[in-house]
Amino acid sequence: MSTSSAITVAGLHKSFGSTVALDGLDLEVRAGEVHGFLGPNGSGKSVTIRILLGLLRADSGQLEVLGGDPWSDAVELHRRIAYVPGEVNLWRNLSGGEVIDLLGRMRGGVDPVRRAELIERLDLDPSKKSRTYSKGNRQKVALVAALASPSDLLLLDEPTAGLDPLMEAEFQDLVTEAVGEGRTVLLSSHILAEVEKLCDRVTIIRKGRTVESGSLGELRHMTRTSVRVETERPVHGLQDAPGVYDFASRATESSFEVDGEQLGEVLGRIAEFGIVALTSQPPTLESLFLRHYGADGGGPPVQERPA
Amino acid sequence: MATATVAPVLGALENQPRSGPVTGWPSILRLQLRLDRIKSLVWIASVVALVVVSAISVSELYPDEASVQGYARLVSDNAAVVVQAGPGYGLQTDPSTGAVLMNELSLWTIVLVGLMSILLVTRHTRSEEETERAELLRSTPVGRHAAGLATMVNALLVNVVAAGAVILGTIASGFGAVGSIAFGLALCTSGLLFAAISLVAAQVAATGRAATGIGLAVLAVSFLLRAIGDVTGSFLTWLSPIGIGQGVRAFADERWWTPVLSLGLAAGVTWLAAVLAARRDFGAGMIPERAGRPAATRWMQGPFALALRLQRGALLGWFCGIVFFAAFYGALASEAEEMLADNPDLEQFFALSAGSSITDAFLASAVLILALLLAGYGISGVLRLSGEENNGRVEALLATPTTRTRWASSHLLVTAIGCVGVAAAGGLAVGIGAAVTTGDSSLVAEMLWALLAYVPAVGVLAGVAFVLWAWVPRLAILGWVGLVWSAVVGLLAQLLDLPDWVVSLSPLDHVPSLPAEGFEATGLVTMAAATVLLVAAGLVGFTRRDLGSS
Repeated sequence: MSTSSAITVAGLHKSFGSTVALDGLDLEVRAGEVHGFLGPNGSGKSVTIRILLGLLRADSGQLEVLGGDPWSDAVELHRRIAYVPGEVNLWRNLSGGEVIDLLGRMRGGVDPVRRAELIERLDLDPSKKSRTYSKGNRQKVALVAALASPSDLLLLDEPTAGLDPLMEAEFQDLVTEAVGEGRTVLLSSHILAEVEKLCDRVTIIRKGRTVESGSLGELRHMTRTSVRVETERPVHGLQDAPGVYDFASRATESSFEVDGEQLGEVLGRIAEFGIVALTSQPPTLESLFLRHYGADGGGPPVQERPA
Repeated sequence: MATATVAPVLGALENQPRSGPVTGWPSILRLQLRLDRIKSLVWIASVVALVVVSAISVSELYPDEASVQGYARLVSDNAAVVVQAGPGYGLQTDPSTGAVLMNELSLWTIVLVGLMSILLVTRHTRSEEETERAELLRSTPVGRHAAGLATMVNALLVNVVAAGAVILGTIASGFGAVGSIAFGLALCTSGLLFAAISLVAAQVAATGRAATGIGLAVLAVSFLLRAIGDVTGSFLTWLSPIGIGQGVRAFADERWWTPVLSLGLAAGVTWLAAVLAARRDFGAGMIPERAGRPAATRWMQGPFALALRLQRGALLGWFCGIVFFAAFYGALASEAEEMLADNPDLEQFFALSAGSSITDAFLASAVLILALLLAGYGISGVLRLSGEENNGRVEALLATPTTRTRWASSHLLVTAIGCVGVAAAGGLAVGIGAAVTTGDSSLVAEMLWALLAYVPAVGVLAGVAFVLWAWVPRLAILGWVGLVWSAVVGLLAQLLDLPDWVVSLSPLDHVPSLPAEGFEATGLVTMAAATVLLVAAGLVGFTRRDLGSS
C-alpha cells in the first residue's frame, strides 16, 4: 500500500447478524488532506469510522490506518489519532474541563496553553457538569479534547451537527490550521458548505458501498450546470438536444440544465438566437449529493433528475 | 388580518377536549406495559414460583399437627429465625401448616414485591426523565402528572396480578382460602406502598441511580425496623411497611385492617409525591445542580481514577448501608440469648449441639445476609462496565491509547477493593455491635473474618456477571441470577428441601458460616482461583468482540 495514504480501505465488509452494514466499501485518504466522507443516514459512515478505530472488527477486506492494522495495533494507533464521535455521551457528573483533561492525559498529555486557547475560541464553559451541557456544548468538549493533544489523524464523525454558525466557522478555521500543521482529517458531514470549503477530496457511500470518490473538481465535471438566458429571439430546437434537461422557455427567456461536456456546444447554438443576458450556475454539491443519495444513486451520472 | 388568522386557532383550542394534569396517562400506561411486557411477567412469575414451590414443600414437610408443633418449638423465641422470618404469628397460640408457611415465606415475598415495585417506579419516572425520549413524549399533549399516574397504575396492575396469582397458587396447593386471600392482600398493598415511596424518591433525587438508591435504602431500613421490633417486641415493627404487611397475620386470626392501613399510607405518600412533582422542573430533582471543576485534579490520570470517580457514589451508598445494617444486626445479638431463656426446648437444642451457641447461629445468619448484600454491590460494580458501554461513553476512552484490558480491569479493581473494604467494615460493625451488647470482645475479630471469608465467593458471582458481559453483552443482566440463586439457597434451602447438588451451585454455600461452624480454607482457595479464572476468561472475550454503542 502507498506510504502517502493515511487510510486505505478496500472491499470492506461488516454485518451485524443478518443486517449488512458495509458491503465492499473502498476509501482512500491521502496524508495531509481533508477528506470528506459523505452518504445518507444509515449508509455506514459511523460503522466505518468505528472499524478504523478498532472498536468494531471488520468481517473481511483490506484495511490500513497510518500503516497499521486498526484492530491489532489499536493502542499504538490511538496515540496518533484523535476522534470526535457523532453522538457525544459524557460522564454526567464530570465537568467538561475534567473530561478534556482525562481524555487528553490518556492520549499522552494536554498542552495547557492550547487547551485554554481552544476553550476560549469555542466559547466553552469548562466548569459545568456534563449533564447540563446542550448537544452543541458536548460536541465542543469532544472537539477540544481531540484538538488539544497532538495527533496525526483526526477522525471527525459529524462534528458540527450541533454547533451554531459562529462556532461552525471557528471549527473550519481549526481544521484548516490542523491541516496546515500536516495533520490528516477524515470528516464525515452533512453540511455541504462545510465540505465544499474544507475538503480536498470526497468519498460518497451508499448502502455500505462507495459510489463516488475523487476531488470536488472531478466530481463537478460529471454533473450539470444550470443556465438562464435572455435572447433576442425565442430559443427553439434545444429541448431534444443531447445533454440538455428541463428546458423551459417563456418568450425570450429560457432556462435549462446541461451536462458539463455539452456546455460549449449548447452555448454555441444559443448564440445564434442573440444573447442579451446569461447567468450560469456551477453544479452545486447539493445536486451532486442528491443524485447519489437518491433511490437510483450509483447509476450512470446524468440519467435522471433528482426531485 | 392578524385577528382573522388568530381567531380560528383560538376557536380550535376552545373546542379541544378539556385537558388537565393527567391528560394522556392511558397512552403512557399502554407504552409502559408494552415496554415492560417481558420484565413484569418474569417478576410476577418469580414471585408466584417462590410462593407455590414453598407452599408445596411446606405441606410435605409439615403435614400434621405434631410436625407443626415441633417446628414451632424450634422457631419461637429463636432470634436467629425471627430476624430472618418475622414474629411467627400463630405459631405458639394456634400452630398450623399455614402459619409455618407464612413464617418461612411472607417476609421474603414482601421484600421481593417491594423490590419489584421500587425498580418499576424508578424505571418509568426518574430514569426515564434522564433520556431525550422523555422530552419527546412530554411535548405531546400529556399532563404534568400523567407519567406518575400511569406508573402508579402500572404498579397497581402488576401487584394485583402477582397477588391474585399467589392467592390462587396457595389455595391450589391445599391452603385455606381466607389465609391465602389475607396474604395476597398484604402483598399487593405492601408493593403499592413501596411504589409510592419510590415515587417520592423520584421527585427528590436528581438521577435514576440516586432514586433507586433511596428506594432500596427505605426497603433496607424497613427490614431492619421490623427485625428489631420483632426481636424486642417493640412498636418499631409498625414503623416498617414490611412489618405492617406481615401484621395481617394470615392463617393466624387475620387482622384485615393492616392491608387497609398499607393502602391508606400508599395513597397518602402518592399524594405527597404529586405535591413535590408540581414544584420541580422537568428533568431536575429538588436538589439544585452545583458547578464542577474547570479542570481535572492531578490524580485524575486514567481509567482507574475515572472508574473510582464513577463508582464513588455507589460505593459510599453500599458502604453506609451495609455498615448500618451490620451494626444493628450485631447489636441484636444479646437479644438472642434473652429470648432463648424463654424457650426451654430450644435452649436444650443448642446445649446439645457442641461448639455452637444461639448467639453464634444468630450472627452466622446475619453475616449471610450481609454477604448477599455484598454480592449485590460486587455485581452492580462489575455491571457498571455494561452501562458505560451501552451509553456509548466508552468509545471516547477506547479511542485513546488505552487497552480494553486496562479499561475493564480498572472497574474490576475498583469493585474488588470496594468489596474487601465494605466486607471489612461490615464485619467490624457486626462485631463491635455484638461485642458492645454481649460484652464478648473476641467477637470483633471473629466477625471481621466471618464476613471477609465471603469475599472470594462474592468474587465468583461478580466474575460470572463479568464473563457474561464480556462474551455476550446482551446477557449481562443475567449476572443477577447468581445472586438470586444464592439468596434462595442461603435463605430457603431447608424450606424448599433442595437437593445437595443444587445447593452446592451457590458459591456462598461453600463458605464456612463463621462463627457457628469451624474455619475451612479449601473452599475459599478454590473460589479465589475460580474468580481469577473467570476474570481471565472475561478479558479474553472482551478483547475479541465488537464494542456495542448507543
